[in-house]
Amino acid sequence: MKTLKIILNGKETTAKPDQTILEVATENGVFIPTLCHSNALEPAAMCRLCMVELTEGKRSKFVTSCNYPLRQDAEVKTDTEAIRRGRKMIIELLMARCPDSDELKRLAGEYGANLSRFEPLNDDCVVCGLCARVCEKVGGKTLTLSGRGVHIKVDTAFGEASPYCIGCGACVQICPVNAIEIEDIEDERVITIHGKEAARIKLNHCETCNQYYGPVIDLTKVMERLGEKTIPPPNLNLCPACARQKLGKRIADRYYDVY
Amino acid sequence: MAAIEVKYQEPEIDFTLIDRIIRDDYGGNKENLIMMMQAIQKQYRYLPYSALKYLSDYMGIPFTKIYEIATFYASFSIEPKGKHILSVCTGTACHLKGSGEMIKYIKEKTGLEPGKTTPDMKLTLECVNCVGACGLAPVVIINEKYNPEAELSLVSEFIEQVKAE
Ligand code: SF4
Ligand code: FES
Ligand code: FES
Repeated sequence: MKTLKIILNGKETTAKPDQTILEVATENGVFIPTLCHSNALEPAAMCRLCMVELTEGKRSKFVTSCNYPLRQDAEVKTDTEAIRRGRKMIIELLMARCPDSDELKRLAGEYGANLSRFEPLNDDCVVCGLCARVCEKVGGKTLTLSGRGVHIKVDTAFGEASPYCIGCGACVQICPVNAIEIEDIEDERVITIHGKEAARIKLNHCETCNQYYGPVIDLTKVMERLGEKTIPPPNLNLCPACARQKLGKRIADRYYDVY
Repeated sequence: MAAIEVKYQEPEIDFTLIDRIIRDDYGGNKENLIMMMQAIQKQYRYLPYSALKYLSDYMGIPFTKIYEIATFYASFSIEPKGKHILSVCTGTACHLKGSGEMIKYIKEKTGLEPGKTTPDMKLTLECVNCVGACGLAPVVIINEKYNPEAELSLVSEFIEQVKAE
């Protein structure tokens, strides 16, 4: 396969065709800030923070590095004055939405963002779309971005508490600004987005220690996705800690049996 | 699009009709989803919740995805629309030619804000952004009929007519 010659911040390196700039940068240990990117998901280029300066041939332009596939020899600069200015602006705008986010505060410090520039909106969400994308991939396809333009927001279908959620918590974990809450209350797990309940899932009950753990999931859907027909036989309802203890005991018993 | 707080009284949904739209008209093909939704909207003047739910189950497309599409395109509506639809172009050219005044006038006459429907479900006021006929501004669309160089009298006549119905 053809390899491309890339000059990354003045240093020469190579890339495979269709590799994204972000991938090449990461391989070469060059850090580019991102908010809406996850290696596990297709890039969506929502946050624009990963903007770099790209020169292909004679022309130079700003592109989002997370989703820009390299197809020809190019020069990439990841940290020029103009880029820093652009990023600073993006951070100032995002900070107005999420003033409490630690990640944004860190970025704001790094880029010297002026935080009194825009009226705070206190929206909590930077609309990076990661939660919706990860939900589509691993979860119950519960979350989406509804509307568009300035009306776009994270939503469940018709804004209702969703019956499709499997309580995996992937959205909570992936959110860069911790805008989604997950809480196990008694025998239920509740997911809250924007102060509104997005889903409520029953929890399993451990037969040994009487604690509630992990959500009750309809395994047919999961098996379908894995391409398998049969559902594994039901296990004893044990929480992970009890299961481990039980296994440990079994191994120990066997050990003494032999001697 | 604002989330709907009120659950609207849904019209009676004819599921055999929706079956027919999905299967016969569009061959049950996922690629035709948007056209199916258009056909459903044509029938009910908006996209009723249970019709979308049915579509989602039938096609095996996540309900959330369908909701996403329904809220993304400005031509889809998840809120019921009135029997008559009055659209006023508020694009730049039409705005300069006084469409703002027209909206104000309609509001005075009917109490309607853009995007809203009268409680008797007779009339919906919509604002559209440039329908591509700027040379003929201002453009008013009454029940899908385009009226170039529309005058206030046209709108007021129409409103009277709707009220008299
Ligand atoms: S809730 Fe979090 S993950 Fe979801 S779009 Fe908003 S910021 Fe991104
Ligand atoms: S990481 Fe590239 S646009 Fe967000
Ligand atoms: S602005 Fe009304 S048609 Fe273009």
